[in-house]
Amino acid sequence: MISVIPRTLAPKVKLDLNNLSPEQVALEIKNLNLYYGDKQALQNISMSIPKGQVTAFIGPSGCGKSTLLRCINRMNDLVDICKVEGEINLHGENIYGKHVDVAALRRQVGMVFQRPNPFPKTIYENVVYGLRIMGENNRRVLNEAAEKSLRSAALWNEVKDRLHDSALGLSGGQQQRLVIARAIAIQPEVLLLDEPTSALDPISTLTIEELINDLKKQFTVVIVTHNMQQAARVSDQTAFMYMGELIEYSDTNTLFTTPAKKKTEDYITGRYG
Amino acid sequence: MNSWFKSGSPWVWLSAGGVSISLISVLGLLWLIASRGLSYFWPADIYQFETVNEKGQAVTVIGEIYDRETLPTKQLSHLNLGLDPNKETIERILVKTGNRELVNLDFRWLLLPLINKTSKPEELVVVERRTNGNFYGYVDGIILDGQLEGLEKMAELVERVDVFQDEMAELQKVDIGAINYQIERLRLKKRKHILDETLTVEREKEIDHQVASYNADYQILETQLMAIRDKVSRDQLVVRAMGGEIIEINFEDILKITYNNKLSVFGRASVFIQQIGSFLVDDPREANTEGGVFPAIFGTVLMVLLMTVIVSPLGVVAAIYLHEYAGKNVLTKLLRIAVINLAGVPSIVYGVFGLGFFVYMVGGSLDQLFYAETLPSPTFGTPGVMWSALTLAILTLPVVIVSTEEGLSRIPSEMRHGSLALGATKAETLWRIILPIASPAIMTGIILAIARAAGEVAPLMLVGVVKMAPNLPLDGNFPFLHLDRKFMHLGFHIYDVGFQSPNVEAARPLVFATAFLLVTIIVSLNMTAVTIRNRLREKYRMLEH
Amino acid sequence: MDNINLGRHISGQFNEDLENVINHVMHMGGLVEQQLSDSLTAVNNDDEVLARKVLATDYKVNALEVSIDDECTRIIAKRQPAAGDLRLIMAIIKAIADLERIGDEAQKIARVALENFSGEQKALLLNLDNLGRKVLEFLQAALDAFTRMDVEAAVKTHQSDEKIDREYEALMRQLMTYMMEDPRSIPQIMTVIWSARALERIGDRCQNICEHIIYFVKGKDVRHTTAEDIRSL
Repeated sequence: MISVIPRTLAPKVKLDLNNLSPEQVALEIKNLNLYYGDKQALQNISMSIPKGQVTAFIGPSGCGKSTLLRCINRMNDLVDICKVEGEINLHGENIYGKHVDVAALRRQVGMVFQRPNPFPKTIYENVVYGLRIMGENNRRVLNEAAEKSLRSAALWNEVKDRLHDSALGLSGGQQQRLVIARAIAIQPEVLLLDEPTSALDPISTLTIEELINDLKKQFTVVIVTHNMQQAARVSDQTAFMYMGELIEYSDTNTLFTTPAKKKTEDYITGRYG
Repeated sequence: MNSWFKSGSPWVWLSAGGVSISLISVLGLLWLIASRGLSYFWPADIYQFETVNEKGQAVTVIGEIYDRETLPTKQLSHLNLGLDPNKETIERILVKTGNRELVNLDFRWLLLPLINKTSKPEELVVVERRTNGNFYGYVDGIILDGQLEGLEKMAELVERVDVFQDEMAELQKVDIGAINYQIERLRLKKRKHILDETLTVEREKEIDHQVASYNADYQILETQLMAIRDKVSRDQLVVRAMGGEIIEINFEDILKITYNNKLSVFGRASVFIQQIGSFLVDDPREANTEGGVFPAIFGTVLMVLLMTVIVSPLGVVAAIYLHEYAGKNVLTKLLRIAVINLAGVPSIVYGVFGLGFFVYMVGGSLDQLFYAETLPSPTFGTPGVMWSALTLAILTLPVVIVSTEEGLSRIPSEMRHGSLALGATKAETLWRIILPIASPAIMTGIILAIARAAGEVAPLMLVGVVKMAPNLPLDGNFPFLHLDRKFMHLGFHIYDVGFQSPNVEAARPLVFATAFLLVTIIVSLNMTAVTIRNRLREKYRMLEH
Repeated sequence: MDNINLGRHISGQFNEDLENVINHVMHMGGLVEQQLSDSLTAVNNDDEVLARKVLATDYKVNALEVSIDDECTRIIAKRQPAAGDLRLIMAIIKAIADLERIGDEAQKIARVALENFSGEQKALLLNLDNLGRKVLEFLQAALDAFTRMDVEAAVKTHQSDEKIDREYEALMRQLMTYMMEDPRSIPQIMTVIWSARALERIGDRCQNICEHIIYFVKGKDVRHTTAEDIRSL
């Protein structure tokens, strides 16, 4: 019976998010609690993020979705009053363990921020920044890496003739793709995107979304977004968070048509919480 | 009226007025010192006045008009000069007559009503001399090798002497100076061995031998010098002063002979430019009241550059610590307040601190540790250019710290996060991202520091500036840069020439000229820094998000 | 209306749009119900005038379908509805297609009233009327469930289609008998069969409407599933 249905209409093989095999898991978050001073910002979050897929975190402002994202590459360490309990396992190893090299972790888990933040250097130097930090100075290796990651970020054709111009001369959308190229130049396993299109125009947004779709072939992508339609468009899994709690986590198609929880439904249909 | 107030235009006028007043005062100040200072170099007319002296005798006065003023007649009535008593006021002129060897004062007041005749004979000449100031009068002839001759060879002879003078200066300063320096070093080496009790017979012999060879060299040079000196004093210029006295001036003394009254405007302009040139590159003469100010320019610039080299890394490092690493607690706040308050301490206090701490404590200890052989004459334990630079560095440190911190805090956190998220450590982020972006702010701090340091005189008087430094802090003898030497400074030069010189009147234009020069130097130092900063700013311009 | 929850959107305009479209659907449902009831009455009373009125009113149903469709398209374009809102719009789009077809079937029935039936044959129409009343009740129940978005009522109503089907089969057997007895009446009986067929189709459409209600409320697509599946909801 399946054979008569066109491939595109065939329902995707759904992952059972509660029961992933170890090979399918990129990141496993276990009983994660996070406090800013006395305030608890994340409450007992547990979830598994599957490999090679796009997982979106949605939720109202202040729900903790960005905080959760920043936990994954320990950017929250920069906040003095932040305290984390629980585990996040990458390759079965807790990234909050005692002997974890944070810089090395961040090379495995790249991050792109809300506003494009290219360094005031040339386009080329921006892309190879991470490699230079890692001590790579071989011109040939750097050139290859720069071209490869710019191609992956769908930016190569636009900038190949002006690699040595300032990155600040690019448009907002190009800057954001440059930042993505910079992040993937060091070949991370997981790419965290923190509202990557909220400062961009709709066309640039679409370019980035298209890019995200390509990126999941190589990387596990976790994206935080305010734009529910965007989450619906780009992600395979969606997690809805509210007031520091993970309310619902399921595959995107289900979550956006038939959410299981009333809070989710109210949020995605735009009702008062 | 009410609506005019409400429209806000009074405030526009008020603020525009404030700006205008500042602008006018700055321009006025510049105009005043520039005009007074630059007129010093312009070749003035030389007048010949026929007047009477106090005893009623007719006298001739030759000189440049220097100043004029109006006096109440009453003030002069007791002199009984036969002035018109009906006139309320009387004008008088100040004439620079030069010829110091003939009269005590080279300035003279002449009452205008007593002047019978004023003329500008073209044959009048001003002879600029190495000693005794200018000579005004007529040239009668030249004594060439003992023979009286005409004036044809005058210019040639002046040049000939110039060449010899240069040769002599070269010999004295460079060659003989180097030999003296080496002999002094050998003496100190010997003394050091004596102090360390390591002086062996061989060593002593060796040193003595070297000294002897240097002395032999010295003898040769001395002979050369004497020979030149003989050549220089061969010829004389015969001149007639205003009183009719005939004087022979040795060419050795003559710098320049100009017929001011004969000069066209272009001729004067070229003399003007030559004068400015020699003001900039010559050494001072006659207790700083004549000649150039080169050592002072050099000292000022060198000291400011040294100060910049010291204060920039220090201030930047301090600011980075305060902003990036220090915990956000009370102690940090106190530190920051202390730094800001440091900027308000009067500069003379820094001078006292520099003298007490740097010169006596640090310098004294350095001397005991490394320069024991020269004691009791101190090397670093005495005011010098390094201590001046250090003192001013401490003085300007708060400025650099505050503006660097300001720059650091203005860098958007996304820049840091972007770098950290790529696996950079905090230090790598600082070095590769934060500091380059903050560099315009750092440059701003340095600009402010330079502006403040270049204008500062008071503390320098305690820690290194002198009226007359025999040597520049930079010369051809190893180690080339002599940080222990004292130096001359334009600011102090102004004070010294204007208020401490034996002939204040003569030095007044020089004060203005030096002041103008100081302002020019500070402005150009600042402009250089501003240009660098603007270039950096353009490079690290943040896109407006 | 508990399940619809229209009033709580942050965008008041969106609330209004949804309310409007639902009101229009109610209005359309009422109109269709009226059409069916009028056509049945016309057949029963041999009321030619009423029958012609039914025929003339059908355009209103069609116009409503077009305008509601239009509204729904606009809402999708402008509001990008998700979850419940999306299912509501989808249910409405499908339901109005069904309602329009019911309107068409009512028209077919009304045409029967324009035929000439002899006194003997009137008995046939009586049986038809019986089925017609049952279908009308079914439609009313379905519309009622739609108005309240009452999933239980929808499930219950969904099942009453079986009764209609049985009734329809009984009527068919009866008509068959008539035809065998009196071949001359075959043309008239054919007309009645067409009407009965129309009524049966209306029943199916009502069943569809109930399925849309279930889809909207439960988010489950129950089309082409067994009755047990639906009951198990």
